[in-house]
Order: sequence, then C-alpha cells, then structure tokens
Amino acid sequence: MTRPTETPNRHETSWKENDMTRPGLMRRGRRIGLTTAALLLVATGAALAHSEGGGVAVAVEGAPSWSLSPVYHILVAHFPVGLWVTAYLFILIRAFSDSEFAQRLQKAIWPVAALGTLAGFVTYGLGLTIYPWSAITESPLGRNHIMLATWTLSYWTVMTVLGYRFRRHLFDGAQRWITLALATIGVLVITITGTLGGSLTGTPSLVTKSLSWIGWNVYMTFYLPSWMLAVYFAGAALLIAIGILGWKRGA
Amino acid sequence: MTSRTTYLAASVALFSGLLVLGWVTHGTGIVKDDPERNIVIPKELTSSLQVKAAYDGTRIWFRYRWPAARPNIFNDVLVYEDGKWEERGGEVMGPDPDNLVEDRVAMMVDDGSVPLFGRYGGYITIGDGLTTFTGVPETEEERSKYLPSSRTDPNDFETVKPESDLATLRRAGQFLDLWDWKSSRTNPLGQADDTSVGAAREGDSGTAPYYTNFDENTGQPLYMFDPAKGDPALKIDAVMAGDVGFNDTYYLSETTAVPFDPARAWQNGDTLPRQVLRQGIGSRADIAAPSAARWRNGFWDVTLVRAMDTGDPLEDKIFRDGGSYDLAFAVFRNASTMRWHYVSLPVSLGLEQPAQMVAERIEPGTEPDWTQPWTEIKTFYPGQVTWGRLTDARQHPGADRIAARVPVAVRHSEEQLALYGVQVEFAKEIRRQWIWTLIASLGLIVGIGINTMLLMRRREDEK
Repeated sequence: MTRPTETPNRHETSWKENDMTRPGLMRRGRRIGLTTAALLLVATGAALAHSEGGGVAVAVEGAPSWSLSPVYHILVAHFPVGLWVTAYLFILIRAFSDSEFAQRLQKAIWPVAALGTLAGFVTYGLGLTIYPWSAITESPLGRNHIMLATWTLSYWTVMTVLGYRFRRHLFDGAQRWITLALATIGVLVITITGTLGGSLTGTPSLVTKSLSWIGWNVYMTFYLPSWMLAVYFAGAALLIAIGILGWKRGA
Repeated sequence: MTSRTTYLAASVALFSGLLVLGWVTHGTGIVKDDPERNIVIPKELTSSLQVKAAYDGTRIWFRYRWPAARPNIFNDVLVYEDGKWEERGGEVMGPDPDNLVEDRVAMMVDDGSVPLFGRYGGYITIGDGLTTFTGVPETEEERSKYLPSSRTDPNDFETVKPESDLATLRRAGQFLDLWDWKSSRTNPLGQADDTSVGAAREGDSGTAPYYTNFDENTGQPLYMFDPAKGDPALKIDAVMAGDVGFNDTYYLSETTAVPFDPARAWQNGDTLPRQVLRQGIGSRADIAAPSAARWRNGFWDVTLVRAMDTGDPLEDKIFRDGGSYDLAFAVFRNASTMRWHYVSLPVSLGLEQPAQMVAERIEPGTEPDWTQPWTEIKTFYPGQVTWGRLTDARQHPGADRIAARVPVAVRHSEEQLALYGVQVEFAKEIRRQWIWTLIASLGLIVGIGINTMLLMRRREDEK
C-alpha cells in the first residue's frame, strides 16, 4: 500500500493535525478505555457482591445456587445502548455533512463505538447470569433476547473494528453510504434487542407491537427453517468470496 | 464508484437481502400437526367468552355466551357397518372432522381454599404424565387434572397421598368445584354435570345424567329411538353434516328411547347416540339449566343455576352473600375435547363485592333479567404446559415469580400463553433450530465483517 500523494484539502489537513494516531491522543484514548473498563469491572463486582437475594430465589437441584438480579443487567445495558446510538448519530451527521463539526464527530465514532462494545460485553455477561441457561433458553422471549443481543454485540464488534481500521476513510466518496447502511442495520438490532429486554421484564413497548405488525410476534421464537440456515451459511461464504474477489480485483 | 466500492455495495445489498429473507421465512418448518405425538395445533389459538352472574340469596345463576361456527350436539355415536355397531367420535385428538364431539363449557370454582388457584387458575391442576400429553403412554384409566396438594410429589401422578390425608384436605376445602355443561350429554334434559377436582377429576356422589348405550356382551346398543315416533336410528351422514338439529329427536332418553331390537333390518350408516340421558340424582345433579340451551347466530348461550348452599360442602363450593370466589373457565368448541380446549386465566367473582366479575343480587324468588353488562373473558389454547415445568427454575425463568406468588396475569397475556403453549409442544425442536439459527446468523455477521474489511478502501489504496 502506498501513501497518498495528493495535496490534502483544508478539512483533510485539519484531520491530519488532530489525527487519533498521534501518540498523545492514542495514549489518552487508551486511558479512557482502561478507565471505562475498570469502572465496568467495579460495577460488575459490586453487582456480584450484592447478588444475594436477587434473581432466581428458588432452590432447585441442578440450578445455580446464585444469580444476579436483572436490575444490574438493565442498569449496565444503558451504557452500550447509549454509546452505540451516539456513534450512530455521529455517523448519520457525518454521512450528510462535510462540515468541520461533522468531521470532528467522525473522529469520535470509533472510540464511542469501542466503549459501547466493551460495555456491551459486560452487559451480555451480566445478562447471562440472571437465569439458568437451561431455563432462559426454554423461554421464547428469552431466546429472542439472547439471539438479538448476540447479533448486536457481534455486529457492533465488527463495526468497531471496521471503524478503527478505516477511521479516516469511512465517509470517502460513496463509501459513506455503505457506512451509513451498515450502521443503520446496527441501530435497528439495538432497538429490537432493547425492546425485547423490556418485554422480558414485563414492559412491552410500541416497538414490540410494531414488530408484530411487520411479521414477527416476539413471543414466538425467532428461528429459521433448515433450508434458510443453508442459505445463510452459503451467504456467509459468498460474502467472504466476494470480499476476496473484490480485494484482488481492486487491489 | 471504484470497483471495490461496487463490490462492497453489492455485498451490503446481499447481506440486507438475506436479513429480509430470514425475516420473511422465520418461524416456519417446525410447528405442524404430528398426530403420532398427540400434537394437533388448533387453527385459532385464542377465543372469547362472555359471562354474567346473578344470585337471590338461595340460588346462583351463571350465563355463558361464546362463538361457535356450528353447534355440535352429538358426542360419541354407534354406527352400524356390515353387521357391527362401531363406536365413533367422543374422544378425538384435535378438532374432529366428523363433528362427533360435543360443545362444552366448564367452570372451576374455588372459595380461596386452594392455594394459588386464584393466581394461576387451571395451570395448578396440570401435573406431569396426563393422558394425551406427548410421550405419555396410554393407560387404562384417563389421567386428568389433580391438585398438587393431593400428591407427595406434586409432579408425579402416582404419588397419591393416603385416603386419610385426602379426606383432611377435602374437609379443609382443598378441591375445586367443576361445573360441566355438555351440549350432547347434559343439555337436552336441562342439566349440567356436577364434578370436582381433588386427587382426581371425579363426579360428585349420586348418579350421572347419562350412561353408556352399549352392551359389551352382545356388542349391540341397549336402546334405539322409538319407531312409533319416527325412524329408529339417525343416518351418520346427516349427523356429521349437521342436518340433525334441535327440533329433531336427536338424543335417547326415557321419552325417546325403547329397548334395542336386534332383529330389525339395520342398514349401513344407521346411527344411535352412544349415551342415554336421564335425570341425574344426588349431588351430581345439583346444577340445572333453566331450559335447554340453544345455539343461535353463531353463538351458544347457556344459563346454569344451582343452590348457593347445596348442603354438600365436601363436593361443592358454597356461595355466600358478600363472598369472593375464584373462577376459571374452559370452552370446548370446533368439535374438540380433552386438552384441545380454550381456557381462561383465573377470574375473581364477587357477590356484590368488588371483583373482575360481580354477581348481581336480585330479589328472592325472582329470575335474573340479565340487563347487566357481560364480563368479557379471553380464552386460549393452553398446549402442554405442566405445573411441574412452571415451578421448575431449570425450565421456566418465571419460576421465581411463582415462588413469590406473582399472579400469572401480571406477567403474561392470554395470547402470549397460547403461543408459549404451542412452543412447549415443540420445545426440543425449536430450541435446536434456534441454536442453529444463532450460529448461522453469527456466520453471516462474520461474513459481512470479513467482506467489509477486505473491500473498504483507504484513499491511499487507490494509488
């Protein structure tokens, strides 16, 4: 790969000057990340310490002798949701604007998404401690929430890596619309995951009803027919193949 | 657009298309009838029931109204085929295509003596291993509802407590009064079947309002229609098509039946009811219908009446002025029986007391004018959800809520419970498919991830 030789415009110059790759900013970014991780770990520890009496209180043979109250999962879940939606907001603004403000926001996208993903892993882990796995995977709503949470976390992990790797180029030319499309899918899965969590705690929302109107009653387990599973596996392979082909041809 | 961006756009379109395709096809391929496993899913998972109640201090009336596409006024019948009388209808899995299963409305009543009934309704009576449940071997006697307190292990049908313990529980009121109106077996003579649920589902003492019209020794019916008043038998085609109605002689009783004549030239398709109706006797006959109910304009409209105090506190729940009670209803429609019914969540009843349904007090000796509004009750197909499953924290995330005595209606709607009921019937299959869906969809996300990593371009890549 080669370095660009063209003369950068005014906006590009200002990026370069404030590029997150600058050692000082990188160090600051690491500090923020580490501090956030530490805070999340402390929160998890506090939740564990206060777990007695919360969650499933029934003594049943074979079931875990402890579990966390859903309240900690619900509490922590606001962090990834807030951070990812903020990242999406920045993407949305940047996709439609080349202003200096929008370009400043662009620099914050991947750190915000990364913090969201970090908080997302903690939230996911806390969520798995609430009920015995055997029980939550017997519940249609529980299965759906796990499914969507897994999609959200894995999808935003991909988005975070993508955001970091191409942080200065996400909005170059037509690529900005790709970025916007991918992020829009991401924010949709966040919305559905959140609303399923709400339904699981007994507070279904208008989104729950809206999903029903467009073909999915959330009280039915989301699963694909076997032929569609094969299509998904083939689709995944095809996407990778297209990626390799396009990379070779466009390299 | 560069070549790589074009590939990228195509990839995102493919990814989005697959997501849409997944959305459109999800939930298909597993939930379907499987008669070998006793699984038949009703076409409608929810229905409705309207109820009113009134009392005059000595009698209490309940009026029920529910939709039914057609009235099914026959239950099990005997059909003559090539020299033999064959039994048809009665107990069929799911809706009977021959329409040989009667319509019914049943009501369980408690006065607060049965723990948790007011919060979970009929769910508490569904133990493991009941007849028609998937995987339960056939037994000589039908295994039906029972109260958890009647077993040393509430989830094991076999662990019935000793008689002395069961008698103690009865005396403490630990049984559910079960009113059972049947369009074929009780309605023609203006009766309902008075039964209860304790250690088992059983009739009250006395004589049932019907008995079997079949002699096992001769293999022939005991009674036929009186030839002096018309044909001695019905025709099965007319019975199944619904061409025999309320104005025809369609049931056997003292007034319509004569002893069976085996010498008669019986024709293939000749049909006789397999039950003979009679006036019930004793506690079993406490409940009456003021007049035989009729189906009109797509609805059954049934009224039942009983003495508030029957004098049988060990078999009936006694209604008292100012009292509060818990009810749970079941409606059998579309020629379905056994567990293919529509049930309600528990409904509170107040006799001039605040409740979901308030029974109106009327002047002693008068009849209700029924001007009060209906109480609308949603009913649903319950599937194969057992009390053992619901109270097991390994199988039900809400087991802790039950332990905390949170009423079912707080957490679940009837629609939700119907969908859960169906999914429980395919629990293993759905769980397995869900795990595969999770894996396949993760694969797709990894695929789009690798794709975008390869195809997204840096400006310098173009040089």
